[in-house]
Amino acid sequence: MNSGDLASRYILRQRAYRLILYLLLFAGCAIMLLPFFWMLTTSFKDPSEVLKMPPQWFPKVWHWDNYVKAMRVAPFGRYFFNSFFMAITTTIGEVITTVLAAFAFAKMRFFGKNVLFAALLGTLMIPGQMLLIPNYVTMYKLNWLDKYQALIIPWLASVFGIFLLRQFFRSIPDELQDAARIDGCSRFRFLWQIVVPLSRPAIMTVALLKFLGSWNAFLWVLIMTNRESMRTVPVGLTLFSSEVGTAYEQLMAASVLAIIPILILFFFTQKQFIQGVARTGIK
Amino acid sequence: MKGWRIGIIGLIAVLVFGLFVVADEPVTITFWHAMSSRHQPNLQKLVDDFMAEYPNINVELVYQGRYGDLQQKINAAVAAGNPPTIAQMYENWVTPLVEILYPIGPTMTDEEKADIIDGLVPSNTYNGILYTVPFNKSIMVLYYRKDLVPNPPTTWEEYLQMAQDLTVDKDGDGTIDQYGTGFRPAANPEQFLNFLEEAGGSILNDDWTEVTINNEAGLTAMEFAASLAPYSLITSEYMSGPFEANQVCMFIDTSAGYYYNNKAAETAGFEMGVARVPMGPVNQKSMIQGTNLAVFDMNQTQEQKDAACLLARFLLRPENTVFWAEKGGYQPVTKSAYETEEWQNWVATHEYQQAMSAQMLDGFSQILHPNYGDMRAVIATTFEEVMMGEATPQEALDDAASQIADLLE
Repeated sequence: MNSGDLASRYILRQRAYRLILYLLLFAGCAIMLLPFFWMLTTSFKDPSEVLKMPPQWFPKVWHWDNYVKAMRVAPFGRYFFNSFFMAITTTIGEVITTVLAAFAFAKMRFFGKNVLFAALLGTLMIPGQMLLIPNYVTMYKLNWLDKYQALIIPWLASVFGIFLLRQFFRSIPDELQDAARIDGCSRFRFLWQIVVPLSRPAIMTVALLKFLGSWNAFLWVLIMTNRESMRTVPVGLTLFSSEVGTAYEQLMAASVLAIIPILILFFFTQKQFIQGVARTGIK
Repeated sequence: MKGWRIGIIGLIAVLVFGLFVVADEPVTITFWHAMSSRHQPNLQKLVDDFMAEYPNINVELVYQGRYGDLQQKINAAVAAGNPPTIAQMYENWVTPLVEILYPIGPTMTDEEKADIIDGLVPSNTYNGILYTVPFNKSIMVLYYRKDLVPNPPTTWEEYLQMAQDLTVDKDGDGTIDQYGTGFRPAANPEQFLNFLEEAGGSILNDDWTEVTINNEAGLTAMEFAASLAPYSLITSEYMSGPFEANQVCMFIDTSAGYYYNNKAAETAGFEMGVARVPMGPVNQKSMIQGTNLAVFDMNQTQEQKDAACLLARFLLRPENTVFWAEKGGYQPVTKSAYETEEWQNWVATHEYQQAMSAQMLDGFSQILHPNYGDMRAVIATTFEEVMMGEATPQEALDDAASQIADLLE
């Protein structure tokens, strides 16, 4: 057995290993993609093909008009605008408030810090459903119902985001802060010029989760608005189903359009997103 | 003397004119509903007709999601003190809110009240007053495959026998490919409530002081369900799926599902029939489902309440309840509607409607207890346990009875 043999064996084994790995990954990928594939093809099907058993993977005739029909059901243009507006403003707002709060909890010393932080975390345990009616009453008293304020302002802060960023900020050595302070750098400047750039993946994670959450928000929007011009895409999606049946082909057509922005966003930010999750140890 | 007369005439003129001005004062009411996109154009058309007849009334239709969402929204709005003027509501949503509702009945004529189908009156009456009026109503009927069930079962015995005969393992692999019937216990406990009614049973006694679901009649109903279990496909999905896949031959479902069930039959290439539910030991009643219309007293002006009552009465007119039924797959809610030429022609040309109409006139509604929603959930679990063979009918009913007793307080 010469060294060439060994080397080629090694390469072969490597290749086999790779092959198995890729096959596994491919299988996983196929499983993950299946719902998307199903959504996409269903959106072009005839209603009679939707629930067929055994499943019909592709429509016989491609019904592009499902999209037209679905979009006619409600003013989806306006819904998309509202969804975007709400998602973008809440995302920017939350990133700002969360960065500031997380920095205070991670790097500053003040009276009652731990108690305050524990209290904040405690609020995560209150189910949102329970708060819906009190929140509605508050919005009504503020005269914010049917206004963008009700859709945006209550969502400008997030305890989960603060928690996530605090954990990340704590991993930044205190020596950096000491050195910066000695050089005359203010806390604020240290935060924006050192901590924030170092924490980009975590901040992107917070932003992306928020964008997703706002984009998908349903019950809050439904409860806080009455006018059609104030509603968002998820509210529109419920229009396709009733107690006795669902117009799946139209629902899927509208859903395809609804997830496109999320897909684009994820496409551009996935690197940071995965880093953020991996580094903070939060899944 | 002349001046005096002119004065009187002038005064009358001013009063009459003033009356017109008051009557013409525009009033806006909001109507919260949970009707999906298939029904919205029909509802809008009815409301447009109403506004054409009463030009001073403006009705804002507001879609509030599905029924569960609508209920949450109503509860939140009531807590804040700003409910809509009129809304679709289930019976048990109304019970806890009855004090802040404005009864529609007293604004109606005696003929109008007497015209409502008998089976729908108790479920709209609170403290002896007709508070709400029926709106989108459907009834449980038996759907079946005409090719496999030439004559639908008319009694429980026939139903059981046919279900048994139709249950087959076509390819002999030890698993059943075709079930005689099917149930959705978790999603549709009304299927059991139907049996319960037909056996002469009830969830509670009349004054809601005692749980009666586990008495002899209750046991008869649950034992019948259990006897069907081996020949039943049990699922939580809409039955149209397995129906289309040739897995189920007949099933009891709401008439509102006709559109979807029939589409399934068309796709699968067989003809679907609709029949009354098979006769039970005591009667052949089946459950009426769907919501009623309620007008809110809270935070509304008298003009708004009057306008909303007018709208509710308008929707009860024979031509309107017939339109709503034909377009949306619901059932007309007044007796006179069934006698209109329009409806009789419709029934004549839509065979399946004969069974639905006959059944509708022999239906029962859900009880008005405020905790009915929770009781229904208990019954769903109980029904499912029995159908899955996890508990005997007696055990399951006794357990349900004790859980329901806790809900009586």
